[in-house]
Amino acid sequence: MSEYLLAFKAGRAFRNEGTNRVEPSATKGAIILTNGDDGLLHFIWKNRSTNQIEEDLILFPTDASFVKVSQATSGRVYVLKFSSSNQRHFFWLQDASDERDAKFVENLNGLLQDPEHTLDWSSDASSAQASTSQVPQATPEQLAQIQRIVQSMSGSTQPSAPELSLTDILTPDNLRPLFTSRPELIPALFPHLPPDLPLPPSTEVLERVIHSPQFRASVASFDQALRTGLLGGLVRGLGLPEEAGTSVEAFLRAIQEQADRGDSMETD
Amino acid sequence: MSSAEESGGWQLTESDPGVFTELLRRLGVPLIVDDLYSLDSESLALLQPLHALIFLFKWIPESASDSSSASSGAPDPEFPGFFAHQVVNNACATLAVLNALGNIPSLASGPELAELNSFTTGMDPQTRGLVITSADWLREAHNALSPPSAISLDELGLPKKSEDAYHFVVYLPFMGSVYELDGLKQHPVNHGPYPEAGEGWLQRARQVIEARIATYPPGALEFSLLALRDDPLPALQAQLTQLQSAGLDSEVAEIVARLANENSKRERWAFENSLRRHNHTGLAYGLLLALAKAGMLGKAKDEAKQVMKTRLEKRRERGEDMEED
Repeated sequence: MSEYLLAFKAGRAFRNEGTNRVEPSATKGAIILTNGDDGLLHFIWKNRSTNQIEEDLILFPTDASFVKVSQATSGRVYVLKFSSSNQRHFFWLQDASDERDAKFVENLNGLLQDPEHTLDWSSDASSAQASTSQVPQATPEQLAQIQRIVQSMSGSTQPSAPELSLTDILTPDNLRPLFTSRPELIPALFPHLPPDLPLPPSTEVLERVIHSPQFRASVASFDQALRTGLLGGLVRGLGLPEEAGTSVEAFLRAIQEQADRGDSMETD
Repeated sequence: MSSAEESGGWQLTESDPGVFTELLRRLGVPLIVDDLYSLDSESLALLQPLHALIFLFKWIPESASDSSSASSGAPDPEFPGFFAHQVVNNACATLAVLNALGNIPSLASGPELAELNSFTTGMDPQTRGLVITSADWLREAHNALSPPSAISLDELGLPKKSEDAYHFVVYLPFMGSVYELDGLKQHPVNHGPYPEAGEGWLQRARQVIEARIATYPPGALEFSLLALRDDPLPALQAQLTQLQSAGLDSEVAEIVARLANENSKRERWAFENSLRRHNHTGLAYGLLLALAKAGMLGKAKDEAKQVMKTRLEKRRERGEDMEED
């Protein structure tokens, strides 16, 4: 039989796709953490009106964390996040008083890190109330992790808002006029195509490539890498000055200079 | 947990029929994988002989109501077939394929896979999972279709993307019953016997899968279904020769159309797989340089700045976008 590790009153909240805001649902519920029959840690949400289990997530130690949604207006909204995925589940705490919220969350995070974790609190559902050990403190690693999560939730992982992105320049709309009006520039691009394409290089093949999710992902990750400002070594390989690897802007400026000089590796 | 520890050198791959089929080719197995858009009898009949269904969905383990309901089958600790636990996140697609292949009777395969199967016979699922994910040749076959990174993103300290946590579950017939093999579960699940007549195991599998899908609230589940089936090309070729020599023109036309269909799909897979293996940074640079030479880069830059400005404004209006990471 599965064993309750922790339980407390909490409702669910859902992200409204249109506004991207998280809205609490009024349904009464409880979050329950159990050691399932399968020996795995289960995070369960039970509807307290119908007594039905409506969510049952298997969690691996250290994969998930339960974090306050700082921008939510009510202040009692939390998100269950996974380091292995972008999946998120939102909840809001429903205990009559918010005094114990922090404790619930600390205990829960303790168990999510280590299911063997000792708690100072046992569940309402099992009607046992024991308080024998200390509230566990978050480790420095946990704090760092939480900070990262909060950072990523506050809307930007970049140190400053970017001015432009390569993904908005290398669009099919921007490239089509190039293909139609300057066909003499096209053959120089062929050596950059995958060597094992099943079709010979052509403008049509090139168009197929720039429409592909693989190409777009490649551009996005190059853009991200450029924004770190650490690509000096890489851009030197393209015949650009090291300074071109310090930002997207610098990279584009260097390319324009290279084009104006007409000394690129492509035409020599 | 860092993704390097967690992935054990297994890279991210796309869950795409073209990727699976290439993996099967590397394993020396004469099967292919196709997308399955419907579970109706006609769609399934076209794909016969069909050996297993792979149900993949965004990592939402089944709700408790699903596992307790009568239709959800019984864990079978005595399962005599091949079953391995998923011990590495990024390996889950390949592991699902192996769990399926290991239970297809008299299946031809390359020497490495045959050796791995016989070596792991009798091991418990956890050990089996560990042995599989430590096989270098298998990891290489799996990684062969993940994008190369000329730029080592690890060293730049960028936020890493882990696999978009798809969960893979295999359904297949085994010794007269439909089994569910889920590498995150302790044991295979027996969903009961199926009738030999008519559609056979697929009829039972359809019920089980449809019941499972129905346990999720509408829209909460992102899933797809893949079919593991015989490579149809040899059979179609043989049929074509036969019909041609019998002079059955209308049947010939139909087979020719199906062959053309299969071949254009293979061409598309080969094209996409080639793009998956390639690093496109050079092409991105080449295109930017061409834009610059054509005098089109300045305008594109200005427009891109405008696009970014609008995007940031919209994000602020929405009160910070939580999906942005």
